[in-house]
Amino acid sequence: LTVLAEPDGVEAMIARLRDVLSARRLPGGGWPFSSGSSQMALEPTCLTLLALRPDTFMPTQILIDSQRTDGGWPSFAGDDQSSGLTGLALLTLNRFGIAHHARRRAVRWLMQTRGKEADWPWNWKFRTRDTHVRFDPRKFGWPWHNGTCSWVVPTSFAVLALKREFPDKRPRAVARRIQTGVEMLFDRACPRGGWNAGNGVVYGRPMAPHIDSTAIALLALQQEPASEIAALSLAWLDGQARDCNAPWNLAWSILALHGYDRPVDRLQRRLACLAQSEPLTDIATLAITVLALDCKASANPFHFPE
Amino acid sequence: MMLGQSQRTGHSIVDSLPFLVPRYNFERRPAGSRVAILPASEYSGKLSNLLWEGLKLFKPNVVGKCVLLKPNLVDYIPGAEINTHPTVVVAAAESFRRFGATRVVVAEGPGHQRDTQLVLQATGLAQQLNEHGIPFVDLNRDEVVKVRLRANYSGLKNLWLPRTLLSADFIVSMPKVKTHHWAGVTLSLKNMFGVVPGVKYGWPKNLLHWRGIQQCIVDLAATVPIHFVIADALVCMEGNGPLAGTSRRLDRIVLSDDCIAADVTCARLMGFAPERIPHIAETAKFLGNISPERIMQLAERVASPGVPFKTVPEFEFLRA
Repeated sequence: LTVLAEPDGVEAMIARLRDVLSARRLPGGGWPFSSGSSQMALEPTCLTLLALRPDTFMPTQILIDSQRTDGGWPSFAGDDQSSGLTGLALLTLNRFGIAHHARRRAVRWLMQTRGKEADWPWNWKFRTRDTHVRFDPRKFGWPWHNGTCSWVVPTSFAVLALKREFPDKRPRAVARRIQTGVEMLFDRACPRGGWNAGNGVVYGRPMAPHIDSTAIALLALQQEPASEIAALSLAWLDGQARDCNAPWNLAWSILALHGYDRPVDRLQRRLACLAQSEPLTDIATLAITVLALDCKASANPFHFPE
Repeated sequence: MMLGQSQRTGHSIVDSLPFLVPRYNFERRPAGSRVAILPASEYSGKLSNLLWEGLKLFKPNVVGKCVLLKPNLVDYIPGAEINTHPTVVVAAAESFRRFGATRVVVAEGPGHQRDTQLVLQATGLAQQLNEHGIPFVDLNRDEVVKVRLRANYSGLKNLWLPRTLLSADFIVSMPKVKTHHWAGVTLSLKNMFGVVPGVKYGWPKNLLHWRGIQQCIVDLAATVPIHFVIADALVCMEGNGPLAGTSRRLDRIVLSDDCIAADVTCARLMGFAPERIPHIAETAKFLGNISPERIMQLAERVASPGVPFKTVPEFEFLRA
């Protein structure tokens, strides 16, 4: 493949993918998931902004404009509820060091939002009667959708965003909320390491982890004290990444392994080959691919400390 | 149904209550339904001919239409019979093309795995779709439209649904026949949870669990018409499905022009009493047929297995 044959092949590919991302920006701002869509969606918009690192204010304005009055962000244009990816939006704005007022409101939303299992009737029920899924409801994170339980991906993004927003001298309430989220992540891990959506054991059976959830959870757990679960998860991710040919999962693996100072060159080359051999039509995947290919040359936006 | 099952990943307390009050105001139950149980011993190229001959019994009117095939793709776990087999999906697509469909698209929004491409690759479906030029749409990331529900069992009133789904003329539900630890079974009705977009409802689609899995299945069935069913009952799953069960062979493909009749037939093939499955019993009141007198079997007759499918303890009452 030409990308490997030419010395600057990967850099040229990153530049080309950035051009593709720029070209797919919607006329009203933001990015949809797929090229054929005109519906701005939060996840591709955040990931693309992080990948493009625009030096003008304009592309990020859509993110500020789409924030809801409660401080959260909807998953897509037209939705009238805040979503579990609010942490990712806050992380994105923080990356550019802009929109302090919007970020304060987002922090307030994150501080007020929690999985339904945190409410006492459900907490009691999950501890005493409803125990087919093994988890401790006292350790709660953030839900995908208001009024439901906590899950790994929204919790990981919320923890990452709060850690980044308060890098030191955290207010006690924020520190406590981060800690509860971190405890939730450890609690929901699969017994042999890694994370899936958040069901480690169901009906006594250990469930299989997922690559992207594991990577995002590990990124959220950077700077936490060393633990057996994190070590097992990192080893599992390392092994999975070697054989992974799905760009989304491979890209998240690279970002997480890089966050833990593991070598990623070979994985980056494989990701570049994948991106070259088959056009990526999903914009979120395209953006995370750019971030993963570029994480050593530029800063990994999910890495602590930067 | 037992109280106390998981709302986190399972159904709610309201699920445990019988459907006492009808919450629909229309009826589209056909006077009669047709089902064809076809013997099939292996996932191979022979399935193309089997499906073609089987579909000819129904003569589906898809000329000039956009057909959407909705397989059951949840996750990939090596060795586990979780997903509708790619051979069945491709054979179905080829058959509908031969019947004159202008466009056949395969679409799914996996409920566990966020990386749909990984599921497609690992199951071999991506390669088969590429070879046959069949497009795939990830319903978790498709453009979405707010739709008013046509029944009100869950109390949701509206759901955001993918535009690709709503623009299809002919929807084919293609479940993998499985037991399900929260819903009892995964058949053509439960399979439609995959059309609910993760971009709005997350992974898993936990809101549907909180609002009652059985109730949401009924609301979805009332709102999104299933025009045809092709159920992969060749190698099935029993026990702790939909992910952690064990393989169980039925060696059948089940076709039907009525999703309720299809699920009734599959439940019987599994050794279950379909009238004990709440979402089947309720949808049979207004969407399709449960009575054997109204279901014409076009191929093999329904035969219960010697030993019913294993279930988790809470669903042992399903056994006929």
